[in-house]
Amino acid sequence: GKVLVFPMEGSHWLSIRDVVRELHARGHQAVVLAPEVTVHIKEEDFFTLQTYPVPYTKEEYRHHLLGHLQNFFETEFSLKLVLQTMAAVNNVSTFYVRSCRGLLHNTALIQSLNSSSFDVVLTDPFFPCGAVLAMYLRVPAVFFLQSMLCELEFEATNSPNPSSYIPRLLTLNSDHMSFLDRVKNMLYPVPWMYLCHVNYGSLARLASDLLQREVSVVEILRHASVWLLRKDFVFHYPRPFMPNMVFIGGINCANRKPLSQEFEAYVNASGEHGIVVFSLGSMVSEIPEKKAMEIAEALGRIPQTLLWRYTGTRPSNLAKNTILVKWLPQNDLLGHPKARAFITHSGSHGIYEGICNGVPMVMMPLFGDQMDNAKRMETRGAGVTLNVLEMTADDLENALKTVINNKSYKENIMRLSSLHKDRPIEPLDLAVFWVEYVMRHKGAPHLRPAAHDLTWYQYHSLDVIGFLLAIVLTVVFIVYKSCAYGCRKCFGGKGRVKKSHKSKTH
Amino acid sequence: GRLLVVPMDGSHWFTMQMIVEKLSHRGHEVVVVIPEVSWHMGKSLNFTVKLLLVLNTLEDLNYHFKFFAHNQWKTQEVGMFSLLKHSGKGFFELLFSHCRSLFKDKKLVEYLKQSSFDAVFLDPFDVCGLILAKYFSLPSVVFSGGIFCHYLDEGAQCPSPPSYVPRILSKFTDTMTFKERVWNHLSYMKERAFCPYFFKTAVEIASEVLQTPVTMRDLFSPVSIWMFRTDFVLEFPRPMMPNMVYIGGINCHQGKPLSKEFEAYVNASGEHGIVVFSLGSMVSEIPEKKAMEIAEALGRIPQTLLWRYTGTRPSNLAKNTILVKWLPQNDLLGHPKARAFITHSGSHGIYEGICNGVPMVMMPLFGDQMDNAKRMETRGAGVTLNVLEMTADDLENALKTVINNKSYKENIMRLSSLHKDRPIEPLDLAVFWVEYVMRHKGAPHLRPAAHDLTWYQYHSLDVIGFLLAIVLTVVFIVYKSCAYGCRKCFGGKGRVKKSHKSKTH
Repeated sequence: GKVLVFPMEGSHWLSIRDVVRELHARGHQAVVLAPEVTVHIKEEDFFTLQTYPVPYTKEEYRHHLLGHLQNFFETEFSLKLVLQTMAAVNNVSTFYVRSCRGLLHNTALIQSLNSSSFDVVLTDPFFPCGAVLAMYLRVPAVFFLQSMLCELEFEATNSPNPSSYIPRLLTLNSDHMSFLDRVKNMLYPVPWMYLCHVNYGSLARLASDLLQREVSVVEILRHASVWLLRKDFVFHYPRPFMPNMVFIGGINCANRKPLSQEFEAYVNASGEHGIVVFSLGSMVSEIPEKKAMEIAEALGRIPQTLLWRYTGTRPSNLAKNTILVKWLPQNDLLGHPKARAFITHSGSHGIYEGICNGVPMVMMPLFGDQMDNAKRMETRGAGVTLNVLEMTADDLENALKTVINNKSYKENIMRLSSLHKDRPIEPLDLAVFWVEYVMRHKGAPHLRPAAHDLTWYQYHSLDVIGFLLAIVLTVVFIVYKSCAYGCRKCFGGKGRVKKSHKSKTH
Repeated sequence: GRLLVVPMDGSHWFTMQMIVEKLSHRGHEVVVVIPEVSWHMGKSLNFTVKLLLVLNTLEDLNYHFKFFAHNQWKTQEVGMFSLLKHSGKGFFELLFSHCRSLFKDKKLVEYLKQSSFDAVFLDPFDVCGLILAKYFSLPSVVFSGGIFCHYLDEGAQCPSPPSYVPRILSKFTDTMTFKERVWNHLSYMKERAFCPYFFKTAVEIASEVLQTPVTMRDLFSPVSIWMFRTDFVLEFPRPMMPNMVYIGGINCHQGKPLSKEFEAYVNASGEHGIVVFSLGSMVSEIPEKKAMEIAEALGRIPQTLLWRYTGTRPSNLAKNTILVKWLPQNDLLGHPKARAFITHSGSHGIYEGICNGVPMVMMPLFGDQMDNAKRMETRGAGVTLNVLEMTADDLENALKTVINNKSYKENIMRLSSLHKDRPIEPLDLAVFWVEYVMRHKGAPHLRPAAHDLTWYQYHSLDVIGFLLAIVLTVVFIVYKSCAYGCRKCFGGKGRVKKSHKSKTH
């Protein structure tokens, strides 16, 4: 079959890439559609890269997409940070709308895509341009994602989402909340909903123009036949979901290769103390100098060998045990028996690699869901969270020594790991199965809940409840009135008779 | 590992047996607790069976069930309450009484205690398995077609919005009119109100045994994994929880070659092919008049009919109809000459029909059969008949429709291809999850935190009330201060005068 892949830029691309590779291996043709200006998406031999022109340059893109990451080392977690995150999201989304408009109005490209008659569109709907494209081309879609802004994935699938025990994104709540936590849980998403409205509004307008009918973002998202979610309940809290949601958390873990000679040498040289892997993800390239110096100092105080993926300027006080590399095979290193700890920004990729390989973590969350991820690992006793703003060299040193020397961290992460890896089918196979399923059956309409056809008040049965209430009230009213009437007849009979008598005489 | 199995008799046991047998093959020590008296259990089992002494005889069991089943041919009891309260009551009381006998059997209880099982695999139909699991504090895997009442909502904390999730035994689809939604909502409310009374005996036994007052919710909420014999090809899409596993179609497998007897019947059927007719293993007899009508209708179609029937042979049976005491249903349905399937639409038959892609004529009798029939009908893969009202003509027409109208075959083939297209075989999935619970001593990480909330907390009513109170207070204060301000500005004179007056006093 023919698969049109419309990925998101950034780390999101990295795991969808594994699915594309596997689809190729099973004999499908994949076309990856990406803007001309990209950071991570590059031509590879298992797919055809189809680019489209966009109205910005790589420099502009880097600046806008990645520029704001610096802030997270410098601003306190507070309203300001939230506002900053919002501004960043806004910024990024403006870019995506521009790029999406460029694509959808590119008649020649759309025509050529249309004539290729794809069987399925595999897309990351974080910014759902791919979903609009799938609607426009009338091709069923499979979504592949970690989560969406405002948790739109639950609204779009009509999953019940009670705020009483499902912590909202970025609230740092757990599934057991105090009364005040629950108040926060309910209020926190309100400004975000506004942001999402603004953010996705322009896309919805773009889509409405294109499809020549009014569509909302939720309707665009409902085009998905199957949602592949990179979540696992070892790590995420149990919650209701719908039959067309498939959980494939840990999909990026399967892909393990032996270490290259360079890294093999580092690991072997580490001796009995083993290694610590340190990476803040592919999106963070530079850390403010002062912070970098503090980190370097702390790293120098532990006996393990440190492999630090860092592309910024080398801190002057870097100790001998710390090796700076531009890139490291993170999953392969974590899978090595000598891996003692993992210093991570707690992006979902890293977290799942840590769980999969059973390596306790020291977490330095920077933005987005990373805070939530860190909180969750901490509650499960499998890692220690540091605040990147306030943390001193001592803090980092202590955190590292704790997770390495305190046996409970290793035990907890190993328990999570064994639960996580104990599954009836590998997530990659599952993901590929569902993509192929949608190709074979041209969608999955039998998994579409009838809830999509109800209005919100129908969904919550408010009309039914109102109707029943009206009946009850009417009955009560009638009974009351007839009782009152009866009573008057019996006890106040005299007065009434008099009156009626009077009126007659008139 | 060591597994305790508490099954339910009847057709429920057939699928459960497949899983239990596979678990036993995989080297687990399996102990099955079954009553001495049963229809299908305890036959040719190759694992340890603990027989439970019960007071009733097989006759009692048959009597109660027959009383119930026969009633269905006279007056169909729609909805759960008539079903559970009237003809079904004796049968259920009998089932519940098994549990009391179990716990009175001190030797058996002691044996089970000593065995230190890793998990219990149970059918919750008679509640006893749940009580056992709680009594021994063992993690449990529930195996069921559907949970009665609102105990799925409560026990698994799985939301089922009554706006599009039809209640069990309601015969509604997922697309309901306003009126249907009102009825659906009312049956939900009825369940909440009356189910505790229906399960009173079971709950009493549980409270006695556990020596503490318990509710059905207490019995259901510790369940680690919920296994359902359904598939979304048949079932309407609805919310689910992470600890729910759908293994519908577990009995769908490649048919074995037919025995010589049946092979001969099928070959003799010629181009018209065969129609398979079975009302399941539980229905042995049909009232004579009804049986005659059925026989008449069957005689009017050109296909050869294979009718599994143990009752008296109807006198007007046509030549094309062959009565048999038993038939290899799945193998026959799998034969390319199978043209239609007349079924009581029990979940077994339905899934075998879907699996083999044979359009159906359905005569639902009781329980979830009505719901199953409704689902197949909405999917255009079968025709439902009302056993009470149906005439020979109705049956004839229904058969001719599903056989000659291409759309029925197409629809069932589409369902069949969707149903069989799955990443993992249901039997393997079922075995995996039982073993998972045994390995990890339950699945606490799949337990939603909703279990620890009260109903008003769950619906955030306290939070909403609190926020409303704040808003109202603020509005009130703002209003009052505005009013005060206005008075100050506009009605200032009067106020000054007054205060002046009071001072002079």
